[in-house]
Amino acid sequence: MVSDATLELHKFMQARKTLFCYSGPLSEDLLTSISNPVRHQLSETDSTDGVAKKVFGVFIEQAQNIIRYADTRSTATGDGVGTIAISLTDEGFLIEAVNTIDSEKSNALEKSLVDLSMKDATELRKMYKERLRSGPPEGSKGAGLGFIEMARRVQRFEFEIAETEKGPVFVYRGYVA
Amino acid sequence: MQLAATQRTPLIEISATNCRIVGECYPENIQEFSSPVMTELKGAVPDSGEYKVELELFYFNSSSAKFFFDFFEFFEEKAEAGVSVSVNWNYRADDDTMLEAGEDFAEDMIQCKFELVEMPSEAGADAEGE
Repeated sequence: MVSDATLELHKFMQARKTLFCYSGPLSEDLLTSISNPVRHQLSETDSTDGVAKKVFGVFIEQAQNIIRYADTRSTATGDGVGTIAISLTDEGFLIEAVNTIDSEKSNALEKSLVDLSMKDATELRKMYKERLRSGPPEGSKGAGLGFIEMARRVQRFEFEIAETEKGPVFVYRGYVA
Repeated sequence: MQLAATQRTPLIEISATNCRIVGECYPENIQEFSSPVMTELKGAVPDSGEYKVELELFYFNSSSAKFFFDFFEFFEEKAEAGVSVSVNWNYRADDDTMLEAGEDFAEDMIQCKFELVEMPSEAGADAEGE
């Protein structure tokens, strides 16, 4: 059948309980447009407002990371290209993000995320406040707080930097419950 | 100054006696949003007397955290200079993210009076309206 692949896509997304997924160039304008549908999807689940808000917060940080730091840019608009999704799992909500990164920044990113993954809530809070006081590190296009903020909101997160022929690809998975 | 809320920015009111911020803050460009607000505050807040700051935030992103940090730092300096500044940080009962954020800012407020004010949760507020 001609439509097999399409049907498989539908089945795959339904089976993994993906509430929202976007893959392609991402801009702040587009983020404004998709914010409400994402919120609507979250409100349809039986999560509390507190949890829905945490999921939304992690989603926004990840989307803005793609907008600011994705190495692959749209040739037409220059927007960062990536994939972002929110799914339901046995561990709660899973927020996933994938984008290529600058190979020169790959080691520093890995080091800071390994460092973050070993910190408890109190340490993360302290780190967040210190970063707020000291200002963004060199090369940051925001407050340099995004990954700390996400680490504070998730139960746990996983990440991987996979080497591909197009350069390093960054994969982030954060669980919120 | 009166700025109406947008989908990604809060309502902002600034006068010579009060400042009120209500809503969400994750602007497309934080600099473009925050610069006029800080400029307005510097012009509007007097050097003596009483000043009330009312915040009711539902969500802000990490880029906006720096804006709120600068915002509170500004009021700490005003309070050091002799203004009697009182800040109310309103948060919803079920919103531990905004409660934590308020606690984080409160720790640095020495000269200003800073109060965390619990409001009924969103669910509770909806029920009352029905």
